[in-house]
Amino acid sequence: MSKPVRVVEKVDVPKGLNMLQGLPDVGLVGVIATSHIISKLKLEEVAYVSSDILPPVVVLYNGLPYSPIRIFGNERLLVLISEIAIPADSLQQLMRAVVDWIEEKEIELVVSLGGLPTPNRQNIESPKVFGAASNMDSLKILKEKGIGLIERGFLVGPQALLLKYCSEEDLSAIALLAQSFYNYPDPEAAASVINALNQIIKVPVNLSELLEKGEEIRLKMRDIMRRTQPELIRMRKSQEYDVPHYYVA
Amino acid sequence: MRRRRSIFDIIDEYIEEIEEAAEDIIGGMFERPSWDVESSSLCPLFNISVTPDNVIVTVDLPYAKPDSIRVEAVDDKRIEVLAKMRRKVRFEDLGVSHMEGEFSCLRCQIPLPVPVDLSRAKAKFRRGILELTIPKRKGYRIKVE
Repeated sequence: MSKPVRVVEKVDVPKGLNMLQGLPDVGLVGVIATSHIISKLKLEEVAYVSSDILPPVVVLYNGLPYSPIRIFGNERLLVLISEIAIPADSLQQLMRAVVDWIEEKEIELVVSLGGLPTPNRQNIESPKVFGAASNMDSLKILKEKGIGLIERGFLVGPQALLLKYCSEEDLSAIALLAQSFYNYPDPEAAASVINALNQIIKVPVNLSELLEKGEEIRLKMRDIMRRTQPELIRMRKSQEYDVPHYYVA
Repeated sequence: MRRRRSIFDIIDEYIEEIEEAAEDIIGGMFERPSWDVESSSLCPLFNISVTPDNVIVTVDLPYAKPDSIRVEAVDDKRIEVLAKMRRKVRFEDLGVSHMEGEFSCLRCQIPLPVPVDLSRAKAKFRRGILELTIPKRKGYRIKVE
């Protein structure tokens, strides 16, 4: 029987590369950051996600259909991005399939880019970036690079599942989260998160260009942000504001 | 004849109704496009939150000319936000070639969740985001003995 979600390779993807992820979440930070990286590094589609449990949507380019969830890459780097809001109830199966593929491809390190919803975001000049890791190896990277840890708290959504599933298989993954708006596209947070990423995996992209295009990005990302909002409610994203009660270690 | 219903049936029905209403609110927003060619307007993203004293409404207004922003009460349950954009945006600029239209302003109507006193509302526009602080209308005070 075929699996509910599959990663289909368009070209032979070599093993042992690094991978970035930018799936729709608060402030669309990961989507904005990875889409900038894909276009500036001129990455090409190397694989796509095929599934019957995802909404019946294709993205058309030059009259041809493409999967809205795709992996772009070159000989060194892979980047997973989605052009649609992912239904909260499909996230688990999607992320399982993605992590299975990560294991098969012996990915060296996965870095997922995202936002940390911050109620007073409007008063923040340059958003701070925090991190969390899937295992001791990836945690060591965060510590060595001096990236502030989210030591305690809740993480909800695609990044939470990535860390969880990678942790179960002892695969190295990092979630980087920049302080961001909850439901407005946040190009400044995307620039901050790329800045932090550069300490771990070098991506030579111009960040001032990303900031200059901020208004254009906010306008273009309205529709996907609008559709991401109800999914954030469904996955109970606001739980990230909560304070865990667990015992004092 | 009406069947006697258990309290659980009634609760179930109630929950179903609430869920449907929630779906309507969430789903209903999308069955319209986020643009309107006739009025040359794009619908901006907005957010509503309720604090003990105020209703806080924020609206993301990329390209807005600060001095053109207008906030008006449609009735006592809705406000309209309108802002002219510094540049016109065509579908073509957004990479879409099979639709035609040009947009010169951002416009949306925002439902207010609780009764408010619009005459005491305050507005500021910073970093491309409009923030309205609208005092809630005071209700009765219940005397605590």
